[in-house]
This record gives sequence, C-alpha cells and structure tokens, in this order.
Amino acid sequence: MTRTNAAGSRRVMIALTVAAAVLVTALLVALSQLEGGAGTGSSEELYSGIPQNGMTLGEADAPVMVSIYEDFQCPYCGQLSREVLPKVVQEYVRTSEVKLESRPMAFLGEDSLEAARAALAASEQDLYWQYHSLLFENQGAQNSGYVTGKFLDELAQQISGLNTIAWKNGLDSDAAGSELEKVRSEAEASGVNSTPTLVVSGPGGEKKLVGAKTFEEISAAIDTAGGS
Amino acid sequence: MASLAESATERGKLRTALAGLAVAGISISAYLAWVHFAGIDPLCVAGSDGCDTVQSSQYASVLSVPVSVLGLAGYTGLLFASVLKGEAGAYLVLLLALSGTLFSTYLTYLEIFVIEAICQWCVASAAVITAALVCATLRVVGLPTHR
Repeated sequence: MTRTNAAGSRRVMIALTVAAAVLVTALLVALSQLEGGAGTGSSEELYSGIPQNGMTLGEADAPVMVSIYEDFQCPYCGQLSREVLPKVVQEYVRTSEVKLESRPMAFLGEDSLEAARAALAASEQDLYWQYHSLLFENQGAQNSGYVTGKFLDELAQQISGLNTIAWKNGLDSDAAGSELEKVRSEAEASGVNSTPTLVVSGPGGEKKLVGAKTFEEISAAIDTAGGS
Repeated sequence: MASLAESATERGKLRTALAGLAVAGISISAYLAWVHFAGIDPLCVAGSDGCDTVQSSQYASVLSVPVSVLGLAGYTGLLFASVLKGEAGAYLVLLLALSGTLFSTYLTYLEIFVIEAICQWCVASAAVITAALVCATLRVVGLPTHR
C-alpha cells in the first residue's frame, strides 16, 4: 500500500471512530435525559386514594409505622424520596401494611426551614405528601437560596385540590414552628443525628436505618417489624 | 530505521501513559461507586455539599445505572485497549477516550448550569479523560503511514 493510500485509509478510520463516539455519547445523553424527566408529575397518581392525616400517609390502623427523619435540602433524602419511597408506597402503604410519617428536621439552613414550613402548611389540608414529593423533585443546591416565595408558590399551584390562599396563610403560622420544634426534640430523644434516618416500628420490634437505604433494605426492616 | 524505532518507543510511552490515566480513572469511579452503594458522603475539599448534590441528583444515573459505574466500565475498557498494540488498539482507545470526554463535557454542563453544584471527583475524572484523549490522538497520529 502506498503512503497516500495509507493516509487516506487513516482519515476514514478517524472519521468512523469520531462518528461512533458521537453516536455513543448521544445515546448516553438521551438516556440520561429520560432518567432526568422521570418521576416528575407522578405524585398525584402515586398518592391518589391513600388517606393522609397531617404528615402521615396511609391507613391509621396499618401495623407498621415508618418514620422518616429528613431535611428537604438533604441530597440523600431527595434520592430516597425520588427513587425508593414511591415503591414503598405502592407495595406497602397502598396495601395498608405500612403508614409513613415524615419528620422534617430543617437543620441544614434557611432553605430547609422555608421548605418545611411550606410542606407543613400543605399538611393542614392533608396534602403534605404531594408537596413533599414536589420539594424533592425540584431540590436545588444546598443553601443557595433557591427556596424563594415564587418557588414555593409554583409548587403549590401544581397540587390539585390545594386551597392556595389557605396554604399561604399557613406559611407563617406558629403551629409550623412548634411542630418543627417537636420533631427536633423527638429526634434528639431517639438519637437521630443525621438525615435520612428511618425508624421502622411494629409488633415485631423497631429498627433504625441510617442513610439512603435501598428498597430491599427497607422492605426487610418492614417485614421484621411486621412480625413476618 | 532509527526513526521507526523512535516512533515505536514513543507509542510505547503513550500506551503506558494511557494505562496510567485509565488506572487513575478506575480509582476515581470505583470510589464514587462505593460511596453511592454505601450511602455515605464522598470526601471533598471544603466540605462535601457539591459532591453530595451531584451524586444524588436525578442525573447521577442512566437507566438506574450510576454514572460512576458507567465510568468504571469505561475506564476498565480504556485500560485493556491501552495495552493492545497496533491500529486496532489505537482506534479503540480513541473511541473510548473521545466518547468519555464528550459525555464528561455534558456532565460538566449539567453540574454548572442545571444542578448548580460542582463535584471535585467529577472534575478530576474530566481532567483524566481529557488527558487520555490527548494521548489517544497522539497515538493515532503517530501510527506508521506505510507498510
């Protein structure tokens, strides 16, 4: 083969390699976008038909209680809420085996506090969990000031059935402040010092799960607490 | 003959550099994969807030596979390709390094403009894969043009 032919063949090989690399990257980017878009807009459907009472989701007589100590700014709480809790709701809460109780700690900064107050205001109308999911789906960078009045309003408007005027009136209520104080004391008494921490309790005993656990780990703790 | 021998030595050096960069990439992505599965905070200079935010964002996985695991697979492929001699090895390395650099550029764009947080480990990985692309390009350019 002559030098000219070899150089031409190299150009073809380089062009093919670059084209293949662009294709691989485009595929990865498309799949990543697919993942990024998933999970939003589904909270209405997820909680539809499941009773709520304040920060508790599920039937009052469900044998197992899962208390989730969380902060709306905590990235691992966001991961848990987006990736694991929907499955727990479908498999255990919807079947009346478990009730979930959110315990917002609001210790990471001002954005945590404002987010928790807004979610608690929605709990007055028993729509806490819809707001809870929206806060985690739209979680921003920690203490960046992303939790503005406009941000909270926009989330509230996405919840069907929420009376936004009553919700706004509840934002600065003393009740929210004392509820957060109560959660803080409970967490201290239970030795909870990081988020997310899940306390799974039932007739079979109590188990504390610290960190972003998988569905399988939570499921095993539920089964043990349920006595099975 | 002298220039052929020099060129072969040069290609050997590039293969060694590529293997070293692949090992660095494997170390970074293995660490990030480990903290992901252990559910712990990655160690970062000046706190781990940025790393936490990026690692737990909804863009941290592709079809439920953590990006760190994709990185681990990519860098392992790069390591094997970098020790392969000849044209096949050179083009395979170029393909892996270019794909990695392009995807890394997209992830850096997400960090800056969408997630609005920077993970130092991801920046380190971006630097490693960019250096690998430079070496891969030099290796292809240095391939003999006659047989």
